[in-house]
Order: sequence, then structure tokens, then C-alpha cells
Amino acid sequence: MSNYVKRFSAFDRVVHWVLAVAFFVLVFSGLGLFAHTFFGYFDFFGGPEQGILAHKIAGIAFLITSVLLFLAHAKETCRFDGDDAKWFGAFGGYLKRGGKEIPQGKFNAGQKLFALFSFVATIALGLTGWVIWDPTAMERGLTQMSLMLHGLFFILFMMGAVVHIYLATIGNPGTADGMLWGYVKKVWAKKHASKWYKEVIGE
Amino acid sequence: MTNHWIDIRNSDVILIMGSNAAENHPISFKYVLEAKDKGAKLLSVDPRFTRTSAKADIYAPLRSGTDIAFLGGMIKHIIDNKLYHSEYMQLHTNAPFLVNPDFQMPGDLDGLFSGYSEEKRSYDKSTWSFQRDANGVPKSDPSMQDPNCVLQLLGKHFSRYTPEVVSDITGTPQEQLLQVYEAYASTGKAGKAATIMYAMGWTQHTVGTQNIRTMAIIQLLLGNIGIAGGGVNALRGESNVQGSTDHCLLFHILPGYLPTPKSSWNDLATYIEKSTPKTNDPDSANWWANRSKYITSLLRAHFDSVLSAAEDFGYDLLPKLDDGQNASWLMLFDRMFKGDIKGFFSWGQNPACSGSNAGKVRKAMAKLDWMVTVNLFDNETASFWKGPGMDPAAIDTEVFFLPIAASFEKEGSVTNSGRWAQWRYQAVPPLGNSRHDSEVMNELYFRVAELYRKEGGAFPDAITKLSWDYGFKGPDGKIHHMDIHAVAKEINGYFLEDKEIKGKLYKKGELVPSFAFLQNDGSTSSGNWLYCNSYTEKGNMLARRGQSDPSGVGLYPEWSWCWPVNRRILYNRASVDANGQPWDKKQPVIWWTGSGWKGDVPDGGWKPLSQPGTKKSFIMLPDGVASIFGAGMKEGPFPEHYEPLECPIEKNPLSGTKNNPVIKRFYEEGGLEEDVFYSCDQRYPYVATTYRVTEHWQTGVMTRNIPWLLEMQPSMFVELNPELAKEKGIKSGDWVKVSSGRGEVEAVAIVTERFRPFKVQGTTIHQVGLPWCYGWNTPNAGDSANLLTPTIGDANTMIPETKAFQVNIEKRG
Amino acid sequence: MARKAFMIDTSRCTACRGCQVACKQWNKLPADAEVNRGSYENPPQLTPHLYNKIEFIEKGEGKDFTWRFLNQRCLQCGDAGCIKVCPSAGALFHTEEGLVGYDQDKCISCNYCVNGCPFDVPRYDANNKVTKCHGCMDRVANGLQPACVKACPTASLQFGDRDKLIAAAKASGKQVYGETALSGLGAMYALDGSPQDYNLAENPSIPQSIFLWKDVIKPLGILGFWGAVGAAMLHYVTVGPKQLEDDFEDKGGE
Repeated sequence: MSNYVKRFSAFDRVVHWVLAVAFFVLVFSGLGLFAHTFFGYFDFFGGPEQGILAHKIAGIAFLITSVLLFLAHAKETCRFDGDDAKWFGAFGGYLKRGGKEIPQGKFNAGQKLFALFSFVATIALGLTGWVIWDPTAMERGLTQMSLMLHGLFFILFMMGAVVHIYLATIGNPGTADGMLWGYVKKVWAKKHASKWYKEVIGE
Repeated sequence: MTNHWIDIRNSDVILIMGSNAAENHPISFKYVLEAKDKGAKLLSVDPRFTRTSAKADIYAPLRSGTDIAFLGGMIKHIIDNKLYHSEYMQLHTNAPFLVNPDFQMPGDLDGLFSGYSEEKRSYDKSTWSFQRDANGVPKSDPSMQDPNCVLQLLGKHFSRYTPEVVSDITGTPQEQLLQVYEAYASTGKAGKAATIMYAMGWTQHTVGTQNIRTMAIIQLLLGNIGIAGGGVNALRGESNVQGSTDHCLLFHILPGYLPTPKSSWNDLATYIEKSTPKTNDPDSANWWANRSKYITSLLRAHFDSVLSAAEDFGYDLLPKLDDGQNASWLMLFDRMFKGDIKGFFSWGQNPACSGSNAGKVRKAMAKLDWMVTVNLFDNETASFWKGPGMDPAAIDTEVFFLPIAASFEKEGSVTNSGRWAQWRYQAVPPLGNSRHDSEVMNELYFRVAELYRKEGGAFPDAITKLSWDYGFKGPDGKIHHMDIHAVAKEINGYFLEDKEIKGKLYKKGELVPSFAFLQNDGSTSSGNWLYCNSYTEKGNMLARRGQSDPSGVGLYPEWSWCWPVNRRILYNRASVDANGQPWDKKQPVIWWTGSGWKGDVPDGGWKPLSQPGTKKSFIMLPDGVASIFGAGMKEGPFPEHYEPLECPIEKNPLSGTKNNPVIKRFYEEGGLEEDVFYSCDQRYPYVATTYRVTEHWQTGVMTRNIPWLLEMQPSMFVELNPELAKEKGIKSGDWVKVSSGRGEVEAVAIVTERFRPFKVQGTTIHQVGLPWCYGWNTPNAGDSANLLTPTIGDANTMIPETKAFQVNIEKRG
Repeated sequence: MARKAFMIDTSRCTACRGCQVACKQWNKLPADAEVNRGSYENPPQLTPHLYNKIEFIEKGEGKDFTWRFLNQRCLQCGDAGCIKVCPSAGALFHTEEGLVGYDQDKCISCNYCVNGCPFDVPRYDANNKVTKCHGCMDRVANGLQPACVKACPTASLQFGDRDKLIAAAKASGKQVYGETALSGLGAMYALDGSPQDYNLAENPSIPQSIFLWKDVIKPLGILGFWGAVGAAMLHYVTVGPKQLEDDFEDKGGE
């Protein structure tokens, strides 16, 4: 019997990594527009105009993949139960070492929250991005508001991404496996997603 | 201008009426606003609220063509309230003179003065005269109380112009009417000055000359002539139109306002005898008594100096008018239309758009054998044969186009409205094949003269005996490069032989120092006596750029040169009292020091009027004083309101005489359908006027070729008030059709509060306005507003009445 | 160097539009093909080829009717929204004299300045680069007056030492618009009426959302990002990761 259980399909993984690449392209092409300090990042793209173009293309890729990924898991990520409340109450057990894990489904409450946030932020960035695609096309007040919101959601997303990357890598060893090649160790599943583990093992 | 541009800043009240100075003379507003900075009041009277009105303290609307009624009411206001400057009038005007007791006025003769002949449509002026003593000097009543004195008659005449009557004619609300009257009449005291800035809004009427007369009377009543910040100031519409008028642009004058000879004035002696004004008053300088010197010097400049006194110095070679002939613009094109004129030089003009009743003008040009157009750009005149409604195949006129240099491409002088002749230099060489006007004329002269010499022809001497010494003659006997300084020097004049004057010997070939030195024996030449003093042995006075202003009132006597003899303010001896002391001590123009005059060049250097042996102050008039009573006019010695030829009301509210009784009536006389007019006719119910805009110049030939200007005012428009627009279902930006008895134009509607309906005779009268700066030759710009204007002219000058006529307006189908 | 500025005296403007033409001449700007839309005001808005224009403002009726003229242009803000939002340092900048200049070579065509401007002034040309009135910074740097000022026949447009212009306008009893707003405008109006009469904002300011974006979100965001990174690191070294190995049990735990 295998030590592993399947966690993400190939579709999930490809979409996630396209999304991830699009995200970093967006970050590096957008930072130059965000503050003078980062203006040099445009050089990665061959100049500011090309950087802005890359930002627009990556933005479309990001929007599509982010929505796809959300829809693929919406059934799991949109449902919260009593355990989730406990999980939130205990801050996911991240505040102390070796605490007992609260039983969680395929995704823990924090992951579900991040999924929802990502979706909302994606839509917000997508809509505002559409408004400022040509900043002279729309009504000035709307464009100005969009510029501000685009910056706000970018910042929130950046902060979310830092947490997401940390927790999915060194913060929770073994987690990244699922997104890298599709399987996680049973021991990981038992620990982090005991309810889901029971489901898939069929106990 | 009696005064000059800078002098506007010295005014206490500025009336802008018959002009839209802010838009059409933008630079003038530098000085208007300087005056306002010092507390001056700006009054704008105009049918339309203009960019001038926008800056005014008081705006008063009036229906086009009712200026005499408006100003007549002001005269009544001044006299009723004794706001006039009595001492000024007694000294400097004919207000105290006693008029012929047989003289009768419109109040008694239903709108006519005494002496009118219905049949001749003109006046026998014998009663328009003064009572004279045994010596032939006019009698006067210094107290100005005699019922027959000019002031009393003036008061009686204008007593009919009550605010109620005036408001009912002009459509001006009485409140604004009185505001304007009070503000303007407040300057009838020593130390106060008011100026009038007018332009074509006054002249282009059947009563144009009388419009200006009315204002001149007001200025004389208030003592505003001759003083700083006063005067009657015509704002000329082109940079050098003053210069071209000085140098005989018009048919009835030779250079320097000498009358054009008549065919019955057989010789020079007769010309001098018939054209020299006379006076019996020993105190009147009657400067025109010098006419013989000026005409003789003119002939000496015009024609080969070998012509002798026995040959009248070439007087026979001057062009002459048939007795009674009027050769003004309207008449020229009327005759051209009738096929009497075969050839036409259209030099620096665009009659196909500028001429009143332009449709008739365009048809007239089709009757020519040849036409030469001399211009910067192709225009509606040069290309008339392919214009709208023209069939090129049916037109036999051969058209030549000579491209010409712009003002920046040539050296020479330009005389501005303030009579300053300012020298300009060439900034850039002419483009392409274009040439200076003088070079074109030079070439024409030599070629035509050569043809006359070779082939003979009728009356060749008029050309072959011209003097033509404007540069170095090559081996072929021709001048290949015109020396424009030689022209300027000839205008000033030379001594043609050694001549001793007042103990000083002037050598042959020397330039004449001033017109006081001109002779009638043929020993001097002068192309224009008024400009004698402009280019002397001291150099080219026109090129001076001195910026000192010792007077402190902005005369700048060392900046360029001004006619006559650098006098910056005309009639300046009226700016002082009998002792030579200025009425306005703060802004004196001239003043008597006890031994001589200081300040501006005085209007004759005689002593103050209180001292014996002096001469009166208005030296150009035979009586030596300004004419409040002016018998020189064709309509009468006082102005009277008459309706425009085309007007919206049935009857002149003031009398049974509806229109100016002495105008030439083309339609009645000639019966041409092109000359038709519709007065008080339902088909053309709206008053219309034409104007210029800041962004375009004249017919727009220059400015329509400058994209930057076309961008700002791209196409023909018509301005109308919201009430009329609503009635007609017209919105701002709609294309509409404006039509008159003569033609129609398409225009974009500008619906604006700036035009208001007038309440006249208990009815509502709408007025619209159109610019005349467009023509079909510029794509999508529309055509000239002059397609609508009538064939009718002022009685004295024949300037066409383009400022008041009737139209209809409807949405373009 | 003392700050230089325009003072636009509306009471002296006759709407001759010499300023519009002089500007086009000096800056070599082509004319836009226009049509009359039922107004003298043409073109109706600033364009990439029109750096300053006269607005014709008709208000009221009858005796209360007014026709006012306002020279619209870049008002050369001291605190300039366009500079604030411009991502490319030096594309929009304050000149030594305090004018808001620009360098098209540095413009990255992002169009942000169009929205950062409180007065809707910047435009983009056919090359998609920013254009607007720069106060003839080339002329001013060489000691000349801006072209529009030189052309103005009535001294409605004046240019010079900012403090002196303000003092002169106040001395003649005029209301100065823009003395302090936006850290002082470099093109001020001496108004003969209220700001509303001229369709001007009473208190012009950089749009609120632009302020939030650039002055609040940007600095807080950078702080937030590094804060998140720092928090993760701190977490790793203090609490540490959730190890999977069953043999890891903290003392005192289960």
C-alpha cells in the first residue's frame, strides 16, 4: 500500500503554476508602475512600454487561471463548518509548537479563506485593470478610483501571497508535494486534513 | 483718428459704438484697459453683446441702423441738462452763429430740411447758411440765446428725440439709454475727456456720414475735440487703410485730400479757383487757401518736370470725373454689370466676397474681357468663374493672377489709424515667384509706356509723361529694382530749382522741410502735401524709434512720424482756453508759455485766441471754427434719423420720411432684379447685420489660409437669440439657411443670449448677425454674408449699407 | 531661484486668442481640423495640439448677462498630481523656475498623469507621449517670456516672479485664485468674479483616490509586504514549521 494519496489533478497543477508564473510576471511588470524604486524592473521586459504590455497579457492569463482554479475547487472552498470555526479560534495552531490539529477537510479554513480572497481580489484587479487598460477611455473619477483599488488589491494580494508561499513550503513541510506532482504523504493528510483523509481512504 | 491709439488711455469715458474694438482692433484694448485701470468708464452700444461689451461697464443694445436716434437723444439730454462746455463752444465752434431765418427743420417739414426737391432727390442748400455782416463774416450771439443761433436750433431739432421716442425706435431699454447718456455727458467739463471709437458699424449705413456727424456734434458740445483722451476716432480696418486713403484710394480725391478734377475744370487755374475754399473772416486761417501750392506740387511730382507752367505742369494729363459723376464702388460694379467696363485690376482685394451684394459683383465680373487679380492667395475673385452658380464655359473673362508679397516681405511705410506713418523693414524675402507690389507696378509701367511709344493709342501722354525716378535705370532705360525710399522721398517732395524762402536758400534737389515751404510756381514737388515733412534732409522721419514722451500724455513725438507735421492730436488748439491755458491741467496737449507753445505741434502757431493778430482754432474750415451746423452734408446741416433701406417697421416713428431722402436708389432707377430690396416684408422679417471676427481678417483670404486661425473659427455662422431659435426649431450647431432678396448662405447657428429681441413700436423685432470672412474657395467654410447685403449706399460717400438689412432664417432642409 | 509663475487677469482678457496661436507657433503645433459646433469656443477642449485655450462662459440673462473668458492651461501646480502619479522619474518634473515640465523621452505612455491632474490637462499625442503647456520652459530657461504672454495685447497674461505677481494682484484689489491651493499654483488667476463664475473648483485638490493611492496605500503597502515577509521569518524561527515526523513532540505536549 502506498504511502501517498492523490491531492491535485494534473489540470489543477498546470493551472496553478501558470497562475503562479503570471503572478510573478504581474508583480515584476507592475512594480515599476507602483513606485519609482522599482522602475528598473521594467528592464526585465525590455522597457516600460513592453513591461506594461507584459502586464496586460499576464493579467489576462492570471484572471483566467485564477477563476478556473477557484471554480475547480469552489465546492470545497466555499463550505465552512464548526471545525473551521474552531480552527480560526486557534489561529490554525500556528501560534504554538506541536498543538493538536483540528480536523479539517481537503482544505483547511485558512486555505479556504485564501481561496475566497484570491477570487475576490482577482475579480477586483480584473475589473479595475479593465478600466485602466486605457486610462483615458473612461470617466476620470472611475479611472482614478480604479487606479487606487488596483493598487490596494495588489498590496493585499502580495501580502496574501507571502503567507501562502510560506505556509505551503517551509511553514508546512510536505505541502508543496501536492502541487508539485499531485500526491501528498498519508501522514501529511492525516495531520493536516484528517476529515479529507478519512474520505479518500474510505474509512 | 483725430487722436491716436495710445491716447485712448487718457479718456475718462470711452464709448465704443459702431465698432467692436475688442474683437476687431484687439490691440486697442491695451489702452482701453489702461484707461479703465485709471477709473475710466467703458460704454458699449451694439445690437449684439460682443467681446467688447463683455468688458464694458454699461452695455446698451440697439437695433441696427438707429444710431442717430440713440445719439440724438444724447444731444437732447446734454442740452436739456446744460451739460455742455459753454466756453469751449463759444470759442471753438459755430454754436453761437446765427442761421438764415428761412432755414427750416424736419420737425416742421415732416422729416425734411428746407430746400428739398422730390424730383432731384437732393437739396437746394441756400437756406442752410449763416446770417452774415457787411463784410461777409457770420453773425453770432456769444450768449447762444438767440433762437436762430446754432445751439438753440440744435436743441429745437433734437427736442423730438425724447427717451421714450428713442427707446421706441432703437429698442434700447430707457434705463440703459439714460445710463449711457449720463456717463458720457459727464465729460462736458474742463478736465474731463470722453472718446468715441467707431468703425464700419457706423459708416456702412445709408446714413453713415451723419452717424459720425452726430457724434462729432456731441464731442463739440462737450468740448472733447482737440484734447487728450477725446476726439472722434475712426478705427481703420486694415493696417494701412489710413495711408491708402491719404494717398487717394477713393475716386473723388487726389493724394492729400485734394479734390479730383472735374472735366469742366479745363485748366489748372480753374481747378484752383473752383476748389479753393474762401473766407471773408480775417481771423480765419482757412488753410485750404494753400490749395494752389499743393496741387501744383502734386503735378510736379506726378509728371515729368520738363512740363512747364505754360503746360499747366501736366494738369491735362490727370484723370478727371465727368461733372456729377460718381465713380464709387457700387457704381463701378453697377457699370461693370451693365457691360460698360471691360478690364479690371483687382489689386489686394476680394470683391467677390467683400462687395455688398456679392452675387451681383460676381455676375458683373463675368461681363469683363479681362481681369488681373493681384493677391497673396487664390481667392473667390480670382476663381469667380468656377464658383457656385457659375458656368465656366459661358464666361469669357480672361483672368490673370499675379502672386504678390505679403507685408512682411517688403520694406515701406504703413500709416495707422492714428495717422502715424511707420517705416517697416523686410523680414523675409518674398516666397516663390511673388513680387513686391512696387516691382509689379514698375514692370507694368515700363511695359505699358513702351507699348504706347511703339503703337501710339488714345492719350498716351498720361502714361508716357509720368515721372518715374524710383531707382537706377539700366542700359535698356528701365528700372529693374525699385528704390522704395525714392518713392517716400517723392511723396515728401523736392525743391526742383534753387529757391529762397524767408531768407534761406534751398538748393535744387533738396527735400522740402515741410508743406509750409511748398510753392505754386512749380519750384517744388510733393506727391502728397500732408506727408511733406516725413522724409527730409534730416532723414527718414518714418523710421524714427525715439521713445521719449516729454508731454506725459503719450504723444511720443520722436516715434515714427504723423501727419500733418507730426501733430499727434488734431485740432489741439481747441484743447486750450482763450488765454492758451489747457482745459485739462493734468493732461495738457499744448499750452502757451507767454512767448510760445509747448507740448504737441500746435494746429497753427498763432498766439492764443485772446490776443490780437491770431487766427481761429479750426484752420481747415473756412469759418475757422468747428461745424456743429454743417452745411456740407447732403441730408442736412443737422443729422436726422431715417430708417435703413431695408427695415422691419412700416413707418419712421419720427416723421413721414422713412429713408434718407437723398440716397441713390438703385432698384427704382435701374430696375435690376439684383438690386431688389424688401422693407417691412413678411418674407424677410429679421434684421441682419454683418461683422468681422478676431480670428479672421476682412474676407479671410489671408486668415483662411492659416490653419491655426481656421481652427478657431472654422466656418460660416449666424448668431440669433434663443426666442427666435425656439420659434424656428433651431438649436446651436444646426445648419441653417439665411436668405435675403439678393441671395442666401448656409451657416451654423449659434444660439445665444448675446442677441436679445428688441421691443420696437410695440412689436418684438429679432436681429441676427453673420460674419463676412468666409468664401466658397475654402472647403467646408461656407460663403460670404455679402451675398445677402443690398445695393444701396450712404448719400455722401456711397459706402454700402451692409450693417442693416432684412433676412429670413430657416433650418436647412 | 525664486519661483516663477503666470498671473492670468481675467478682467483684462478680451478672448482674442492670440495666446492660442502664439503657443502653436512657438511649439510648432499643427491645427486640428475643426467644425463650428454652435460656439466660438474651438477646439472645445485642450488637445494634444492645443496647450492653452480660451473658455467662453455665457451666464445669466438680460441685464445680468455676462460673457467671461478664461485661459485654460496647465496650472503648474506646486504639488502636481501628474508628477505624483508619474511612474517614470523625470518624465514630468518641476523646472528650476517651478514650472511643470516634461521629457517625452522619459514618458512611458502610461497615461496616469491624465488622471492625476486636478484640472484634466495632460493629453497624449500621436506618439502616445504626454503633452501639455510647459510654460514655454525652453524660453523661460533662456530668459524669455512664454510665447502666449508675449503675444497677449492686454497684459491679461503675465509671467514673472510669483511673489511679486501675487503682491501686485492683491495691491490692485484682485482675488487671487491658486495662491495656496496645491502648494501654490504656478499659473494663477486674478479673477473678477467668483471661481464658480469661471467654472473653477473652489478648492482645487489632487483627486482623493489619487491621494489615497499614492500617499497612503503605496507606503503602507510596501510596509505590509515586508511586514508579511518578516512575520513569516519570525514565525519560522520562533514557532517553527508543522513537521510531519511523528516522533517530533514538543515537551509538555501530548
